Amino acid sequence: MTDPQNILELSGIAKTFGDKVALKSIDLAVRRGEVHVICGENGAGKSTLMNILVGIHKPSGGQIRFNGQQVQISDPIAASRLGIGMVHQHFTLVPSMSVAENLFLGRHPKKFGLFSDRQAMVDRARALIEAYNFGLDPQAAISSLSVGQRQRVEILKALAFDAELLILDEPTAVLTPPEVEELLKIIATLRERGRTVLFITHKLREVKAVSDRVTVIRHGESVSIHNTADVSEADIARDMVGRDVFLVGRKGDVERSFGDAVLKLNGVTRTNAAGRRLLDAVSLEVRAGEVLGIAGVDGNGQTELAEVIAGLSTMQAGNIWFDGADISDMTVAERQALGLGFVPEDRLDRGISKTMSVAENVAATNYERANILRRGFVSSARLAEFAAEKIKEFDVRGAKPKTPIGTLSGGNMQKVVIARELEREPRLLLVSQPTRGLDIGASEFVYDRILASANAGRGVLLISSELSEIFALSDRIAVIYSGRIMAILDRADADEVTVGALMNGAGKEAA
Amino acid sequence: MTAFNDFLRAVRAPLGAITLTLLLGFLLVMMITDQPVLAYRDLLLANFDSWSNFGLFLNRAMPLALIAIGITFAFRAGVFNVGGEGQLFAGAITTTMLGVALAGLPPVLLFPIVIIGGIAAGAFLGWIPGVLKVKLGVDEVVVTLMLNTIVLLFTSYLVNQVIRDTAAYGAVSQLVPKEIWLPSLPGVPKASSGILAAVVLAVVSWVVLFRTKWGAELRAAGTNLRYAEAIGIAAGRRVIGAMLVAGGCAGLAGALYVLGIGHRFEQNFSPDYGLVALTCALLARIHPIGALFTALFYALMLNGAAYMQISTDVPRSLVDLLTGLLVLLMTARVVISRRKA
Repeated sequence: MTDPQNILELSGIAKTFGDKVALKSIDLAVRRGEVHVICGENGAGKSTLMNILVGIHKPSGGQIRFNGQQVQISDPIAASRLGIGMVHQHFTLVPSMSVAENLFLGRHPKKFGLFSDRQAMVDRARALIEAYNFGLDPQAAISSLSVGQRQRVEILKALAFDAELLILDEPTAVLTPPEVEELLKIIATLRERGRTVLFITHKLREVKAVSDRVTVIRHGESVSIHNTADVSEADIARDMVGRDVFLVGRKGDVERSFGDAVLKLNGVTRTNAAGRRLLDAVSLEVRAGEVLGIAGVDGNGQTELAEVIAGLSTMQAGNIWFDGADISDMTVAERQALGLGFVPEDRLDRGISKTMSVAENVAATNYERANILRRGFVSSARLAEFAAEKIKEFDVRGAKPKTPIGTLSGGNMQKVVIARELEREPRLLLVSQPTRGLDIGASEFVYDRILASANAGRGVLLISSELSEIFALSDRIAVIYSGRIMAILDRADADEVTVGALMNGAGKEAA
Repeated sequence: MTAFNDFLRAVRAPLGAITLTLLLGFLLVMMITDQPVLAYRDLLLANFDSWSNFGLFLNRAMPLALIAIGITFAFRAGVFNVGGEGQLFAGAITTTMLGVALAGLPPVLLFPIVIIGGIAAGAFLGWIPGVLKVKLGVDEVVVTLMLNTIVLLFTSYLVNQVIRDTAAYGAVSQLVPKEIWLPSLPGVPKASSGILAAVVLAVVSWVVLFRTKWGAELRAAGTNLRYAEAIGIAAGRRVIGAMLVAGGCAGLAGALYVLGIGHRFEQNFSPDYGLVALTCALLARIHPIGALFTALFYALMLNGAAYMQISTDVPRSLVDLLTGLLVLLMTARVVISRRKA
């Protein structure tokens, strides 16, 4: 029955929370020494499965075998005794303590059985860091480290417990692209050292880059297992979503005619308190029916650009016109009344109020428009009805009108934000990082809505640091670098090399 | 129907914690005294022994409930208003000053003037921290706390130096004209009818907070200010508005106390109503109708403890212990429900 090659075998693992089924039946076989990816959309049950493996949740059914032995994992300590180490998405480090202290937190080496032997601790930490080539200073405080370095400390912490099986839960979600590359290298090192790695992700590129085998789970069931080398990203995507996925964008061969400029920026400049120019004489225009993509590496003025257009921050010079009217001095509400829709880059920051209900979030700016007021008072029946309509229309999963929106997944929150902004039929839709943190299914939905908006004659200003997204959706591409628009290219004239160079500040002659 | 469910949900949590507190408290009382049943009977039921006791109980609850309802608005807008005491005193002193100074006016005119004066004084005191927070980012806790001291000392000056009733004992002002005294509650001679205002305002506040666009915007500003700004809500104005309401409610409590209970300004009239009301609002989960009930409960305990101390050897400070327990249990419940989610 059991294969001695396998370090971990799950059969028929199920988990219910009350009457909610989180996992129906998961089968999984992880071979010793491999990098195994568990891939699934948000809400497919990946996190629940991991929590079962590290003893945070108890399964409602099924068997777990570790090293051939059937085991019960009652709590995280039991898991670590077995040799299962977990690196959580959100770090569990003490910021004020050093790397070494964090590694040996709660089990410092002892001198005379009483005092902690700091020298021994630092030495052992250094040995561990060198063994895996992690390039960390054992005496540096955690608070002085970058996110990528902190993650390495987390990994080391698991390894210091002699974890045979290391579980990484969406480790790349918090990393920048170069840090992701580093992490993938680290995982390769771990495999060389004979550790088994279980890697949770929904990003297909990482699956291909890192893993030996991949198990896809969907709606709480394991649907397939592949040797990664034998399958394409599209195959995995199909298993994840359960149908063919079309992340296609604008069709290039269709001739489009655009209307007049809806939004026009002329010399928009914004400086910070220190006098540095966050936006440097930005001029651009978005025509009706057109998608203008703003490409750029994060932190080059995209946030400021969106806020200036939305009316959330002031500018020191320049003008903004909307449908020919100067809106430079208008408030957020006035701009929205003219027909500006705004999907902010960080949902939790500016897009929603987590503790309020789905209904109140989607209705927030639409009380009059959606006829929710009765003699000046909110009709709760009508509010619920409106929210239910939008939940259905925008396929917001797992939501009832009264659900606190903070309990939904990122993709479903984003759908609520988009539903709210589109309800007032804006003339211009300003969308910032629309698919950040979203899975494939939700991204597909968002792309679809953005393109449908443009086809309906709205102007769309798309700000994104995902180059593939810019290329998929835009009619024209503007590249922003250090607060300046480097060039505005027609989609047909743009290729990744040119745009990539501009994103890194190459001069205009590159275009 | 949904309104009824909301109401049930609002009172369920405090009622559960209160029951448990009383049970644990009973064990304590058993250890202290030979007559635990008598002590507990007095604590809880002596308030209902006579119409007179009942009236005093309602009078105790009135300012607590009004201030707590007001604080609900502030908290919902994200402002930690600890200035209830100062706002209460501002309302009380203004009503008294106007009543004494304009005593010659016909009561039909004088009554609305003193009431509005009291509300306005409280609201003004709420407006100051609101504006400072919105325009300059000044911490409202510090401002409201400091204002409490300023107002308390200033009223002390006024009552001692300006409108003192030299014929009476203690730091009390002259009486306001009898014509503008609040009538007592029908059938309960000792109870001022001010409690009715608290009941009405609790319901009105619920409607305003949860059934108007203004209320929704206020709560949006309170739960996520940056979100509120991004969807075009004048968030700063909502915050200031909430503080005006909070101060106004506390000011009204002061006005109604003077007109219905004290009939003059007494320097010691408040056993920390402002701070106790803060606890009431928090225990009620910042819900105006819940706040009415927690205020009634606190009033019951405060007055009951006095009766208990007279009849048995259980000290009055048991109440402090019980309120501590109550706060503990309410917060414990939050953790449990969080873990379930």
